[in-house]
Amino acid sequence: MWEFIVRSLEASTIFTFAALGELIDQRSGVLNVVLEGVMLFGATLGFIAAKTTGSYLLGFLVGMAIGGLLGFLHGFFSVTLGVDQVVSGMGIWILGFGLTTYIGNPYTGPLGMKRIPPLLFGLSPFFYVGIALVVVLWFVLSKTSLGLRIRSVGENPSVAEVSGINVTRTRYLCVTIGGMFAGLAGAIYALFYNPVWNYNFLMGWGFIALALVFFSMWNPLILLGGSLLFGSLWQLSLNPQLVLPGVLSRYIWRTVPFAITIGVLLIISTKWFRTRWGAAKPEALAKPYVKE
Amino acid sequence: MRIGSYELRLEKRLTLIGWQAAIISVLAIIFALALFSFIFILAKINPLFAYRQIFSYAFANPYGLPLTINRFIFLLLCTCAFIIPFRAGLWNIGMTGQFYVGALGAFAVLFAFGVKRSPSSNFSPELIIPAMLIAAALGGAGFGAVAGFLKGKFNVNEIVVTMMLNSIAFWLVSYMIKEGGPFMSPGGEGQGFMLPPSLYAPLIMNAPFTILVALGIAVLLYFLFTKTAIGYQIKAHGHSPAAARYAGISTFKIPLLVFILGGAVAGLAGYHYFAAVPGLYKISSDYRYFGDLAFYGIICGLISLGDPFAAIPVALLFGGLSIGGRFAQGKLHLGFGVDYALLGVLMITLVAFQFFYRYRIAWAKK
Repeated sequence: MWEFIVRSLEASTIFTFAALGELIDQRSGVLNVVLEGVMLFGATLGFIAAKTTGSYLLGFLVGMAIGGLLGFLHGFFSVTLGVDQVVSGMGIWILGFGLTTYIGNPYTGPLGMKRIPPLLFGLSPFFYVGIALVVVLWFVLSKTSLGLRIRSVGENPSVAEVSGINVTRTRYLCVTIGGMFAGLAGAIYALFYNPVWNYNFLMGWGFIALALVFFSMWNPLILLGGSLLFGSLWQLSLNPQLVLPGVLSRYIWRTVPFAITIGVLLIISTKWFRTRWGAAKPEALAKPYVKE
Repeated sequence: MRIGSYELRLEKRLTLIGWQAAIISVLAIIFALALFSFIFILAKINPLFAYRQIFSYAFANPYGLPLTINRFIFLLLCTCAFIIPFRAGLWNIGMTGQFYVGALGAFAVLFAFGVKRSPSSNFSPELIIPAMLIAAALGGAGFGAVAGFLKGKFNVNEIVVTMMLNSIAFWLVSYMIKEGGPFMSPGGEGQGFMLPPSLYAPLIMNAPFTILVALGIAVLLYFLFTKTAIGYQIKAHGHSPAAARYAGISTFKIPLLVFILGGAVAGLAGYHYFAAVPGLYKISSDYRYFGDLAFYGIICGLISLGDPFAAIPVALLFGGLSIGGRFAQGKLHLGFGVDYALLGVLMITLVAFQFFYRYRIAWAKK
């Protein structure tokens, strides 16, 4: 049972990293609908880097770097070129899905490296880093002037610009850092959580992470709670026999996290929920800002 | 910027006429193919040679052309499934799931008629084939309707919902065809039961009759968008849901309708690939490959700017590219996934070229 809890927490860590990245993006008013593409890139290139050099550190760094690069690319499309943010995100997703399939194919199979040793209570260092990041990000966003800048750019970019904030630069900063988080999340998946490469292996993690951001009401602390919930749920769907042995096919269990994601999205989209909590949504989300 | 004696600058477009958009799309495709040459160069293959192989196999080879046609039908259906919600300003990236459920629907009809239990009995294709088509369309429509309903009623983000539905449908198919699932083939593990030869889809000049279905849908959509009140309402919703509501257009019914229609079309693609493509005639164990191909529909739909007629040549080109790419992969000893990589490069180029929908480069002699 403890092992199951540990695996759940490790899965939650990946959701946390990816969703934190998206949260930073969205707080600055940029929507990146397809974290999945960034995660795929981070996972695949990180996996290749680690497998060829034998260095975990390099693998994670490559994952982060490619994530940051893709975040920057999304920024270039959506902030500088003013392309619809959904279209740009879709482009990066399909690029990720297509190119990683081709690039990663020769590396299909297990990583074949010694597993990263646990730090405390059988949990990997990533778990603790994830928790620390949540707290740091919460602090930065709500207590520092940088956080105020990011939030004001996400709420009302023209007012922010008038008060002397460089909207373009802030948004670039956020999408790049957000991309690094998502790339790192992918690398953790491929190097630690499930170190076996196969094409398009994420199968919806990125989209669940996106839903988590909506669910979190853009608050890193609630986001952590959501990640824990979905991480456990995901793990449960892989090992249903732990809780309800013999009930339903294992394939049916695999659909459960996705069905619950839809349910959660439904709840947070209801009028009741929006009037109660909905004010947290960044006002300028997904709207390109054109300087007059 | 100056090049020689010419002065180049960016100008904002005020309007975008159809032929200008078409030129941008064509340029984007050419640019993407040029960009993709790097993949061939990295693999130490002359790109011109590679493209000649791809195109000649896809469009001028007696083995390749039928494959291209089959894939064209599939892509055209997926593109139409994307276009219908797209014209209403909504993103259907759930073609994959609707395609899976459509296939399940078609095979459910066979299952109900007892094809799995006694494959050698006499079946009347006049009855069963139309029933399969209807079931496939209904399955896809029902699945699409979930996203449409949630969008229309509660404004739930349709991108996330359709993607979640894709994953759900993926595992549903696994459940049905693997580990003793109801549709599992009696002999082989991990794939669906075979269609009996009497129920193979009729061929028209070596192509499954679904080619007429796909082309017919494209024509119908053209009329829907240009000549009917519903089409007008869909387009109005696409321009601005808020304005549409002021004009008395239901912001519940339109999302529901477009997702039902889109899902139905994607469901037909499920019938097409698993029950009409010669040589397959079952839900194969690698059904995920076909499901992922459905994402080509997004690109075709974006390149054709939501125009169902433009979708026809685009789907034909991309069908050929994906078949030819697969062939080149084997012939030139490239890694698996050339066709997917091409899909990715095309998509990202297209995104970059969206810029030219809003700006143009003006040049004047100094």
